[in-house]
Amino acid sequence: MMRRPLPRWATISLPIAGALSIILAWQFLLPAAGVPSYIAPTPTRIAGVFQQQWALLFDNFWPTLVEALSGFFIGNISAVLLAVVFVYSRVVQAAYFPVVLFFNTIPILALSPIIILIFGLGMTPKIIIAAVICFFPTLVNMIRGLNSASHNEQELLRVLSATPWEIFWRLRLPRSLPMLFSSLRIASATAVIGAIVGEWIGSDKGLGALIIQATFNYQSDRLYAAIVLSSSMSIAIFLSVVMIERRVIRYI
Amino acid sequence: MTFAVQTRNLDVGYRNADDSVTVLSGVDLAVEAGEFLTILGPSGCGKSTLLRVVADLLEPLGGEISVLGDKPHTVRSRRDVGFVFQDATLLPWRTVAANIGLPTVVGGRHASKFDPNRITELLQLLGLDGLGDRFPHQLSGGQRQRVAIARALLNEPKLLLMDEPFGALDEITRDRLNDELLTIWRRTGTTILFVTHSIMEAVYLGQRVMMLAANPGRIVNVVDIRTAKSPDNSCKREDPAIISAMAELRQMLEQVS
Ligand SMILES: Nc1ncnc2c1ncn2[C@@H]1O[C@H](COP(=O)(O)OP(=O)(O)OP(=O)(O)O)[C@@H](O)[C@H]1O
Ligand SMILES: [Mg+2]
Repeated sequence: MMRRPLPRWATISLPIAGALSIILAWQFLLPAAGVPSYIAPTPTRIAGVFQQQWALLFDNFWPTLVEALSGFFIGNISAVLLAVVFVYSRVVQAAYFPVVLFFNTIPILALSPIIILIFGLGMTPKIIIAAVICFFPTLVNMIRGLNSASHNEQELLRVLSATPWEIFWRLRLPRSLPMLFSSLRIASATAVIGAIVGEWIGSDKGLGALIIQATFNYQSDRLYAAIVLSSSMSIAIFLSVVMIERRVIRYI
Repeated sequence: MTFAVQTRNLDVGYRNADDSVTVLSGVDLAVEAGEFLTILGPSGCGKSTLLRVVADLLEPLGGEISVLGDKPHTVRSRRDVGFVFQDATLLPWRTVAANIGLPTVVGGRHASKFDPNRITELLQLLGLDGLGDRFPHQLSGGQRQRVAIARALLNEPKLLLMDEPFGALDEITRDRLNDELLTIWRRTGTTILFVTHSIMEAVYLGQRVMMLAANPGRIVNVVDIRTAKSPDNSCKREDPAIISAMAELRQMLEQVS
């Protein structure tokens, strides 16, 4: 059965109403049920942290944002470039794709201490961790995307005597974009995770460090505020990716 | 006179790593310049394979072939051949106009000059007025196929290869496109090799109909139906001469299937 789509006002107001209902329940039902505030501080207390400790939150927001964004760009750009190399050189792909596959099986949490050992405590290791975490899904998606032109499409360009560069630029690259963007959307969340994990292991700056410190000092309202900020960061990067995707992929 | 396509003892098929599969063997064919030749034959007999050899998308296994008096490869790099596939093969990220203009952005130094008037002219010729800014998914199947034909015509190919271009269309649309294709053929004087599964379409469009057979793949017959049609290759579908040509071809096709 085809269901009629919800009217436009409902697609906007229903999610807002849903979120509000949960926030209200959190604000009033949880304390009433006896959940102590060091486990779940109420939304108003978390909002209070934003008001009173804005400078602290802000100081820790920037490093994480810089690390996540740098990692996002470095990881995705190198994945796209390597995918192009792999797709155009079967020899290189045969030699190195298994190695890349092997690296991908190492959990990022196990790899992070090594990266920190090598690169020290600055921003660099966090950027690298965020980049590594973005790299693999984009590499795999981009290889598949570049190879997804149909047999007929390739023959069409051959009939038109297209040069290899034209085949790349006019067919294989545009064909790969939907798959590339679907992995960029995933990477918008994982890049932030990578930066925070890096900060957990070795840093005194950033939202990751703030989360760890707040946890050990039982400052649960500050902990929750840091979590809200991290997820806002993921959402902001995600929305930027979606906006760029809408401009680039105008068909369908 | 030079033929648009001439083959002598041509074998076509597929080369694998260690052996090769012959699909059609001993093909002797001479298509005159400006001719409209339709190709009929049971499924899998090698119609598409033959067209792909003519278009230099596939190397022949043996024998000789010349296209427009040259090697297929030379002709393809000069872009004298147009190809229309059964599925329109439009690039979904390009608008209709940009799809028709594809030959202006690929082809290296043989790329056609971009001329907006030429694209408007083709949109009109194929009844696509006002659809230039649409994307392919906003078109009907028939409209998509018209775009594919317009694209193949952009650089005025001397030889047009069409592999079941109207196979997926309803009968009314197909009949209309058949008439439009004949008009274009008369106007441009291009040679057309046209593969179809429809006997009616083969007779209605072709001056000659080539019948292929499978196992082993070969040419069974080339039926000249010019005598049953007007000098400009038009005919009425219910004309007795046309009906008897169709009956003859149907019998032939049943024997080889
Ligand atoms: N890439 C390939 N490698 C090996 N054999 C192939 C390949 N492509 C097609 N064939 C075989 O070649 C034969 C002829 O195929 P072809 O596509 O030319 O048939 P066709 O006459 O166009 O059939 P249809 O009417 O169904 O389109 C078939 O038996 C098919 O299985
Ligand atoms: Mg075929």
